[in-house]
Amino acid sequence: MFDRYASIVFLLIGVLFVWQSQSIGTSSYGSNVGPDIFPMGLGVVMILLSIRLFYEVLKTKTSASSEEDTKPDYKRFLLILAASLIYAYFLEDIGYVIGTFLFLLFSFQVIERGKWLVSIIISAAFSYGVYYLFVQILEGSLPGFPSFMNLG
Amino acid sequence: MDVLNFLADGFATALQWNNILFAFIGVVIGTAVGVLPGIGPMSGVALLIPVTASMTSGQDPASAATSAIILLAGVYYGAMYGGSTTSILLNTPGESSSVVTTLDGYQMAKQGRAGAALSIAAIGSFAAGIFSLVALIALAQPLSDLAIKFGPAEYTSLMLLGLAAVSGLAGKSMTKALIMTVMGLLLATIGMDNVSGVARFTYGFPILYGGLEFLTIAVGLFALGEVFKTIINREYATGEIAKVGRVLPTKQDMKTSAAPIARGSILGFFVGVLPGAGATLASFFSYIMEKKISKNPGKFGKGAIEGVAGPESANNAASGGAMVPLLTLGIPGSGTTAILMGALIMYNVQPGPLLFEDHPDVAWGLIASMFIGNLMLLLLNMPLVKVFAKIIETPPKYLLPIIVAISVFGVYAVQYTTFDLLLLIGCGIAGYFLAKNDYPLAPLVLGLVLGPMIENNMRRALTGSNGDFSVFLTKPLSLTFLVVAALWLIVPILLKMRGKKVVINEEV
Repeated sequence: MFDRYASIVFLLIGVLFVWQSQSIGTSSYGSNVGPDIFPMGLGVVMILLSIRLFYEVLKTKTSASSEEDTKPDYKRFLLILAASLIYAYFLEDIGYVIGTFLFLLFSFQVIERGKWLVSIIISAAFSYGVYYLFVQILEGSLPGFPSFMNLG
Repeated sequence: MDVLNFLADGFATALQWNNILFAFIGVVIGTAVGVLPGIGPMSGVALLIPVTASMTSGQDPASAATSAIILLAGVYYGAMYGGSTTSILLNTPGESSSVVTTLDGYQMAKQGRAGAALSIAAIGSFAAGIFSLVALIALAQPLSDLAIKFGPAEYTSLMLLGLAAVSGLAGKSMTKALIMTVMGLLLATIGMDNVSGVARFTYGFPILYGGLEFLTIAVGLFALGEVFKTIINREYATGEIAKVGRVLPTKQDMKTSAAPIARGSILGFFVGVLPGAGATLASFFSYIMEKKISKNPGKFGKGAIEGVAGPESANNAASGGAMVPLLTLGIPGSGTTAILMGALIMYNVQPGPLLFEDHPDVAWGLIASMFIGNLMLLLLNMPLVKVFAKIIETPPKYLLPIIVAISVFGVYAVQYTTFDLLLLIGCGIAGYFLAKNDYPLAPLVLGLVLGPMIENNMRRALTGSNGDFSVFLTKPLSLTFLVVAALWLIVPILLKMRGKKVVINEEV
């Protein structure tokens, strides 16, 4: 099932690149080998390959692949995914140390409940440890704390 | 200057205290990466690029590149050492090249000979590592002398050959592998065109002008994809860990293993040099060969030490062999070397024939440091095997979120944009679904790294020939490369049609 949708998506990607490469401005450099040739050619190859994939999928039929013995754990995955997205999106606002601490603590607890103290210690040690190593010792730059806290 | 002089200079570079430290960190982390199921050498190296970038930020560009590549290569071959540990103790390979080690290694562990298996794996890996380095040194100069005569047409064809080889051998379906290759090449076209300076597919987003960052995509696809997979499949390690026991192998063990180690080293090196083949394939071939040669093949699968010594040497030799095309031709033959190449390019060091002339300190420093690194691994692995075995017990509960946090930190520390973080997570999701449905990820990364180089060379060749595509066919070398590339794709199809089983490389 995935392959069928995927072949359509890849087909669309191919078409998109061929179509959009038409609108790349031709530069003064080179008369007939401009910046549009390569993506356009690749787009065509992509279209051909996706058609072949679609054909292969049709031919093989769905061979009911229910070999997975455990049910996929989408709940934990979605929770951690959502947490990662929030973490990534607000990293610059909330700062590295607090953001990472909250993200780790939440994720530890999502995967397995309990052992709060260990979770808190590891999250705190990791988030502050990385920040300290990177900013103080390696002199890198990270948004450490939210700007209103005035901690640097 | 001859090779020995260069090598001596290389040792002078590699023996600087900071480079020794970098090699040490590299091999230790590499061993840990190899031991931990869930992080392979590819995601390990990708994860460490940003960390090394910040560690080396104080140095001048050339020596920073040397230190960084020393560390990253250490992770690569260190992982080959570490991978055997879980195979032997847990019956779960830490990375794909140690799959065959489980066959006899775990049996040996069950018989209480885990220590011997682990140490013979380390000794074999060491011997193979040294052998492949000597071979690398012997091949480096002649190959780069040859490659330096290549024009843009030859280069284009050679890189197409590299892509064809990786796509032809990767994964179950060649169509899918080719789609991933083309996808990588297409993604590489986003951003400012190197030749003409025209912006492509940017749609006015300034963040896209620099193109999609290779690092972000690699970390996302491999490291995050793997984390998501582990969470969704609940693959938390729950195995009985065998006791290590006596570490030193007996004299008899050494005697039986000597020949398999030698054979595995030679075989592994040449398999590693071939683009597309790799450590996984090398270890499989070695196992099959040892079983064929053996006087009593019935022993195999029941704890034959040859079945550990051969494949473990082969996979290490292959990782040394894989450095040959990367360093001399500038063509990575596998996913991990593609990532190493991406790292070098980040430091403005272009691997290829000119590497040995323009940056001899990088090239020879790396080679010399691999000697030192292999020695460190041997010394570390023999006494510390029990300590490394403990790493297996790291609860995934803590490990998985920390991998996500390291990915986020790494990408942000290099790119400083929220956009890259979101792209990272997006690639993680894509990586999970693609890998789950047998779309190999290595060709995509390879396409992404080689894309700009293929395009530049192709356009230079075409500009020289006034847009006549036959230039790729009229030059004999270029034609040869293209024919080999075509064969690489066609032969597996023909074999499949005749009903033969094709050995594929699943180093995803």
